[in-house]
Amino acid sequence: MNDMRLIDRKTTMNEIKIAAEGVDVFYGESHALKDVSVDIEERTVTAFIGPSGCGKSTFLRCLNRMNDTIPTARVTGRITLDGEDIYAPSVDPVQLRAKVGMVFQKPNPFPKSIYDNVAYGPRIHGLSRNKAELDEIVENSLRRAALWDEAKDRLAEPGTGLSGGQQQRLCIARAVATAPEVLLMDEPCSALDPIATAQVEELIDELRQNFSVVIVTHSMQQAARVSQKTAFFHLGHLVEYDDTDTIFQNPRDTRTESYITGRIG
Amino acid sequence: MPTTWLILAIAALAALGFVAGRARAMTSAGGDARRLHSLPAYYGWNVALTVLTPALGLFVLWMLVQPFLVDRHVTGLIPDSAIGQGSSRGLVMSDVRRVAEGLSVLEARGADADDIAAMTPEALQDEMAAVGVALGTPMTPAVKAAAEAYRAETDGWRTWMGVAVLAAALGGLALSWRMTDKDFRARNTVERGILFMLLGAALVAILTTLGIVLSMLFETANFFEAYPWQKFFLGTNWAPDFRGNSELAILPLLWGTLYISLIALLVAVPIGLFAAIYLSEYATKRVRTLAKPAIEILAGIPTIVYGLFALITVGPMLRDWLAQPLGFGNSSSSVMTAGLVMGIMLIPFVSSLSDDIINAVPQSLRDGSYGLGATQSETIKQVIVPAALPGIVGAILLAASRAIGETMIVVLGAGAAAAQFNQGLGEVVNPFQAMTTITVKIVSQLTGDTDFSSPETLVAFALGLTLFVITLGLNVLALWIVRRYREQYE
Amino acid sequence: MTDMTAGAAPVRGTLVADAHTRKRNASEKRFRLYGAIAVSLAVIALVFLLTSIVRNGAGAFMQTYISLDVTLDAAKLDKSGNRNPVEMAKVTTFGYAPLIKDAMASTIAANGIEIEGLDKPEDLISKEASAQMRDVVLANPELVGETRRFEFVADGRIDGYYKGRVTMQSAERDSNVTPAQLRFADALKEAGLLETRFNWNFITWPDASENRPEVSGLGVAILGSFYMMLIVLGLALPIGVAASIYLEEFAPRNRLTDLIEVNISNLAAVPSIVFGILGLAIFINFVGLPQSAPIVGGLVLTLMTLPTIIITTRASLTAVPPSIREAALGVGASKMQTVFHHVLPLAGPGIMTGTIIGLAQALGETAPLLLIGMVAFVREYPSAPPEGFFEPATALPVQVFNWTQRADPAFIERASGAIIVLLVFLFIMNAIAVVLRRRFERRW
Repeated sequence: MNDMRLIDRKTTMNEIKIAAEGVDVFYGESHALKDVSVDIEERTVTAFIGPSGCGKSTFLRCLNRMNDTIPTARVTGRITLDGEDIYAPSVDPVQLRAKVGMVFQKPNPFPKSIYDNVAYGPRIHGLSRNKAELDEIVENSLRRAALWDEAKDRLAEPGTGLSGGQQQRLCIARAVATAPEVLLMDEPCSALDPIATAQVEELIDELRQNFSVVIVTHSMQQAARVSQKTAFFHLGHLVEYDDTDTIFQNPRDTRTESYITGRIG
Repeated sequence: MPTTWLILAIAALAALGFVAGRARAMTSAGGDARRLHSLPAYYGWNVALTVLTPALGLFVLWMLVQPFLVDRHVTGLIPDSAIGQGSSRGLVMSDVRRVAEGLSVLEARGADADDIAAMTPEALQDEMAAVGVALGTPMTPAVKAAAEAYRAETDGWRTWMGVAVLAAALGGLALSWRMTDKDFRARNTVERGILFMLLGAALVAILTTLGIVLSMLFETANFFEAYPWQKFFLGTNWAPDFRGNSELAILPLLWGTLYISLIALLVAVPIGLFAAIYLSEYATKRVRTLAKPAIEILAGIPTIVYGLFALITVGPMLRDWLAQPLGFGNSSSSVMTAGLVMGIMLIPFVSSLSDDIINAVPQSLRDGSYGLGATQSETIKQVIVPAALPGIVGAILLAASRAIGETMIVVLGAGAAAAQFNQGLGEVVNPFQAMTTITVKIVSQLTGDTDFSSPETLVAFALGLTLFVITLGLNVLALWIVRRYREQYE
Repeated sequence: MTDMTAGAAPVRGTLVADAHTRKRNASEKRFRLYGAIAVSLAVIALVFLLTSIVRNGAGAFMQTYISLDVTLDAAKLDKSGNRNPVEMAKVTTFGYAPLIKDAMASTIAANGIEIEGLDKPEDLISKEASAQMRDVVLANPELVGETRRFEFVADGRIDGYYKGRVTMQSAERDSNVTPAQLRFADALKEAGLLETRFNWNFITWPDASENRPEVSGLGVAILGSFYMMLIVLGLALPIGVAASIYLEEFAPRNRLTDLIEVNISNLAAVPSIVFGILGLAIFINFVGLPQSAPIVGGLVLTLMTLPTIIITTRASLTAVPPSIREAALGVGASKMQTVFHHVLPLAGPGIMTGTIIGLAQALGETAPLLLIGMVAFVREYPSAPPEGFFEPATALPVQVFNWTQRADPAFIERASGAIIVLLVFLFIMNAIAVVLRRRFERRW
């Protein structure tokens, strides 16, 4: 583990970006998430860890209302983004998702050119007035995703032709292009090899400058490497939420300790 | 019927062989089945199959070849003088066969063979008419003689066939019975035999295609001997005339076919595609469970039903409500009628294929688009449809091939008049005009009294071959596109 | 922590739809509406088609009958007087027609019916009636000399009058019926001598000639279709299953196998009319099988059905998990034994379902049968198989086509009625297939 980073970690208090209070999620009859309350800070990487089926991905999908696309899902409780209830009837999930972007487990570039992949979000949200502005957005996004140098000469080629790690960075660029305030990442490295994983992790750390990033991960090492705050989920409950250092070095709950030390999960 | 008896005899021999083979195997093992290489029944089957295969094979071969040989020989017996003006050797030969058939009927009714032989042709013809065998032309002595020869030869060869087939069966029985021994690998032999039968069944598919191609190719070649191919492919007028001087150009028919298919696709593609999208992306479970089977019912309805629907409902409706008030003519069979009804028929075809194809687009692409804040329709229009486009194109090509080959709807809904290119463009593109198609003309040229030596009949085979080539091309292209599309997401 | 956001609630939510999003949402609604319209159009087309057929065809199952007391005059029917059926057969149907005419006249007198301008009252009765009466008399010679009540089929126009097809106005312009005859029919109805009721004869009687729609039926066509289905079942099922077993379980990956596969998928999409040409050229002209015979129709439909059966059978064979095969092979069964003892029985229900669906397709197929002479006018029932396979017959869908080609509008009603019969058969077959699938479907 990268001990240097653990020590260097800055733990200054940031503003609250997303606040969740008493969130429950049901998939049909099954109660997937039970009474979860969490505050996610601005310009911070927050990691959700826990064994498979613990509800961490479910909770992540609540934050941009991706659960709406599953007909049987039902969400109760209150989640606010900058103090605004995102489940209020007046809220348009389409506009919410433009502010809360998402990157998925498996790289899923659209079967379009690299350029069109990145330009997709700005186009549907009407973020650019002309071609030049769009070009600029695409370039900036690709630069932020650390893909510009590799992709600048092949913007017209299909995104599906890139390598796995490049595809995932393209998906990150695509998410960044809509100028979100929060970036949700659902196990973004689970389909990648170690080198690509390292590149993406480095990228996450840089993204922290502008966004608040929430990452679901299976790997405790990854959580420890990239996050400042960590939440541990178990069987649908949020067991413990604290600074990453505290969780990993001094957990309060015995379940957290068992998971960290590899006895459950 | 001696043929029935022959088959029964072979079956009996096979059954006998089964019992005998099984018994011999058991004896050779001293009554202990465990000492045999295979289960006792396999020895029985081995003998039975060895009896059946050569005997039945010979039987089928003989039945196919014999009529040829007899025909060729008897045709040679007919003197040139017996072939009347305007007739041909082929026509006389069909009379001969008919008379021979009548002779059999008479004898079956108990008429004395010597009496018949002594009858004049005229008397014989009356006698036959009384038992229901009517002849088109007066019977000549030559025809009567040829018919008698035909019958004698057929009967003679039949007897020989019986002998040969029975000999083959007995030979098989003797050979396999001798082979039967406790160390004989009966199971392997039987299984190899069955494997060949399975292969034979699979080859039926190739034989069918071969049959289709050959049957049309030969007659098409005959057609092009009687009618120049340049005029068929490049002419602009369709006016068959059984007295000669026909104009048999495919272009007017091809135009009608394509025009009707185009209208059908204009109806079916948007409706089918939107229905597929709605049902797979939007519809609630209840709507889906009701609407999906309803659309599938459309696919199960025979085309004759659509044809009748076009004839009695859609055609008159279009004529009374659209064509006549707008002054487009007053024909109830029209391009529009046939196209509209064919479009309805194709809706389930387009929608179910598109449905499969849309569902093959991975969920991750949908999630990716929703995650960026796209609405559902934006996701469909900009991600799903472009991703599924090759597959959808394939589905449309398959639907087009269906439309081009469809027969009953156009027979009943489109009319029999070929497009008249010399009447000006207005007549040719008027969708409320009756217009015929390739398939309609195949039906009309091949039904009723047909004479397989006139170009007016033979043209149907050339039309059929053209149709086959066009639809085959479309199918191969469509299947190739769809397969490539599926591989992309596997 | 939470109090940091308190009191900072924005006046207007930034997440609430702005103008651009509202436009996008409107386009979303429109798109959704197009989809709903498309589905509705398809469903409306189905409903419209079915109701149009039922509305046009329901009448075919009803028939108007007229009861008359006919005196079977011995002087006319049996001149020799010894009731010998062979001699009586010399009296043709023309000899019976006057009896009906007389019976009609006496009925008019007995019921005191007076209709102005009534001409040829016997035309109310089908021209087939004398033939039917002759059949009854020849079968029962002892009836001659008696007066007996016969129930005759009414003429197609009179029948049409009670089904709304013929009206007083149309009768004015019709050479086959006069308004006076219609009024006479009404008088007969009042006297209880005329009634319209269910018509079993439509299912059982054979076809009838051009101007006797009222006595035409589907008997021969149903029998012909049934024979063809027997042939298709007897040939397509074993060949299709054998071919599927070969391709799925034994075929090596080579050129020949590829060729077979390509052929099967292409045959499934060859236009049906082409199969008709094949039947005509190969089975009739080359092999010399008789025209209009169920055997030829059956063979052609077999070839058309094979791809369907092969495709569904292969799907049910692949659905049997490899573990079953491994288990059988593991106890030392041969490959052939594994397939026939384990895989095939487990795939059975799927194969049956596919076969029934294939048969249903074949039952509705028309175009190829037109080319092999099944359009012929056949009034004789074919005899029992196997001879019946070689005798002329028609088929249900072809009978429909045949009737559409006739001038009398009564045949349109008959054609629609025949379609209803055809659809009922198809419905039953598909229902059986669905039930089989539900009952025996196995989830691995």
